[in-house]
Amino acid sequence: MTSHPLLASHLLALVTFSVLTSAVFATLLRDDTPSRVRFGLMAFAAFVVSAIVVGWLMYPFPS
Amino acid sequence: MLRSVFLEATSKRALPATLLAWLVPGAGHFYLRRPGKAVVFMVAIGALFVLGVAMDSRLDVSLGLDDILASLFSVAQMAMGLPYFVARMIGFQGDVKSVTFEYGNTFTAVAGLLNILVVLDAYDTAVGRKP
Repeated sequence: MTSHPLLASHLLALVTFSVLTSAVFATLLRDDTPSRVRFGLMAFAAFVVSAIVVGWLMYPFPS
Repeated sequence: MLRSVFLEATSKRALPATLLAWLVPGAGHFYLRRPGKAVVFMVAIGALFVLGVAMDSRLDVSLGLDDILASLFSVAQMAMGLPYFVARMIGFQGDVKSVTFEYGNTFTAVAGLLNILVVLDAYDTAVGRKP
């Protein structure tokens, strides 16, 4: 059995996870809205970029 | 004097706020009249958990010392509170053969772990350590 094809997209899962997790961290760790937005965007970018960089670093290695 | 009265009043709210925060992500902050934070926690953590379940995450309880990692994983999921137990009662158990099984596990475990931080935040807010 498999889930909906949309849920199986690596990139969509990565972006969804990053958005939701960044929103929680930003709300927990900052106290005013501008700082939350700035922190949330930075955390989101860090999640996505680091995942893609690590993905490419693992690319030469066989599974 | 004024400070001790304030601390006594806020600490009375600590237990219900902490309990509510564990049971339903964001409910503790609603109780503490922080509706903005509550909505973010409810939507974001709720969505992580629901998506994880939709991705066929494993939901069975595995507690014990024979498999420490599985036990920690179960504790992380249980930190999600009522949604975890409701999902189990409805009959969601996950499917190890599903291509999204591991994604689902990550989503549900992280939802629970984030909820632990939210519970601690609700406690800190109730005792006056956070605005």
